[in-house]
Amino acid sequence: MITFPGPASALVTLPVAPDREGIARVLSLERFVQESLPGVRATIPAFNRLLVDGAPSRWDPAEVTRRLEAGARAALEAVPETPRAATVSLPVCYDHDLAPDLEQVAAKAGLAVREVARLHSERTYLVLATGFAPGFAYLGDVDARIATPRRPSPRARVPTGAVGIADRRTGVYPTEGPGGWRLVGRVPPTLFEDAAERIARFTPGGPVEFRAIGRKDYEAECS
Amino acid sequence: MDQRAYLWANRLLDNDPGAAALEVTLGGFALTFAIETVVALTGADCAATLDGAPAGAWRTIRARPGQVLRLAFSATGMRAYLAFPGGLEADRAFGSASGVARDGLPGLLGRPLREGEPLRWGTPGRIFPNRFVPAHLVTPAGDEPTLVLPLITGYEWPEFSEADRERVFTEEWTVGPASDRTAIRLDGPALSSGPRTLDSSPLVDGTVQVTGDSRPLVFMRDRPTIGGYPKLGGTDPIALDALAQARPGSPVRFAPAGPGALRLAMVRRESFFGITRPTPQA
Repeated sequence: MITFPGPASALVTLPVAPDREGIARVLSLERFVQESLPGVRATIPAFNRLLVDGAPSRWDPAEVTRRLEAGARAALEAVPETPRAATVSLPVCYDHDLAPDLEQVAAKAGLAVREVARLHSERTYLVLATGFAPGFAYLGDVDARIATPRRPSPRARVPTGAVGIADRRTGVYPTEGPGGWRLVGRVPPTLFEDAAERIARFTPGGPVEFRAIGRKDYEAECS
Repeated sequence: MDQRAYLWANRLLDNDPGAAALEVTLGGFALTFAIETVVALTGADCAATLDGAPAGAWRTIRARPGQVLRLAFSATGMRAYLAFPGGLEADRAFGSASGVARDGLPGLLGRPLREGEPLRWGTPGRIFPNRFVPAHLVTPAGDEPTLVLPLITGYEWPEFSEADRERVFTEEWTVGPASDRTAIRLDGPALSSGPRTLDSSPLVDGTVQVTGDSRPLVFMRDRPTIGGYPKLGGTDPIALDALAQARPGSPVRFAPAGPGALRLAMVRRESFFGITRPTPQA
């Protein structure tokens, strides 16, 4: 489905789940758009959607619609390519005072705290969308056993580097601010000091892994 | 925020349309010149004076060393723009010199200016004859009794109830006090029928989203790239300039619009100001 949120913008929603496969198909549509649609200024992929922003003087709505429909068909038919981006590897400490919701997540799952940390750090995630705050990435999917809904009311202050879970998504808070995700670990905040690095770290479709580290290594990274 | 005023300020000085300029919110600002120079002032009416004498607005102002340019608190409008020959020296991130303290984006200083801080610009010695924007091209900000925002419906529009969809074009809202460079929040009738759980969806400048309190907000220049509440569609990007100048309490309505006419107006603006790439964030 295509809607037009602005005079020279189009939003394509692919009829796929907003998961690994969905984002892979959206990214193949994004490549098609960048290669074959003239005058494109920006594209924003997120979950199962792609926004295309064009130069007004080069935007022919009928032509854009025709090409986006063809691109969407091709993206749905093709076998989604695996992303070529380099893996982002982040150290995480799952110590309980850095992970205030870990016990609750474990209790809900009927698992030991260590097991939740293991399940969270053993798989490679894919960036499904970036946004919310610059440098924040929605990563998916977490193991179904540790998927936990957001807190009923968000915390006013979540620290930089906090690792959260919301349903099947996980992510790392790049700056301090309000947030409602269940906090299960912490990446050393020193990794977020440089703004340009922090904001450019994740690209949709890129793989991300978490490396469990002990308290000593965490403290060493922080100093 | 008001791109038209920002673009005019740079144009008056033959600057690149993306040159860094100062945005002065609500006035209350003074500048002492260390050199002889020309600056350009546009946007909200702040009764500017140079050494106490009226300096005018939507024009260039020539100043000698030691002279003081003073902007009073704005009487109408929200934001004045002050451009300098060659553009202010500022760090750019992702193509923009706009500072966002919240996100650590550098800009001029990565935060609002403080008293006593120096400004430097590209070609300090460049002197111009006086120039001004022709009066018929200056729409005084906040002149219209009600600001009408053209709305192209889209996103989750079909999922709102028929009553709510009718309400969008018949009711009136006012600019809320919690508005900022990220979004203008509107106070007024509730639109509560949108879908509840959504994955965040990409935004453009002007996307209208109905947030948790059931009131619409219009995303502005410091908006995030995605937003997770149901959306009604997008407003005319050019109408955002007037919205950026609307003070809290100002009435706002939506009118149905098609993308075609709005696109033509954007084409005219971009060609007039010589914009060949996305407008830098003013």
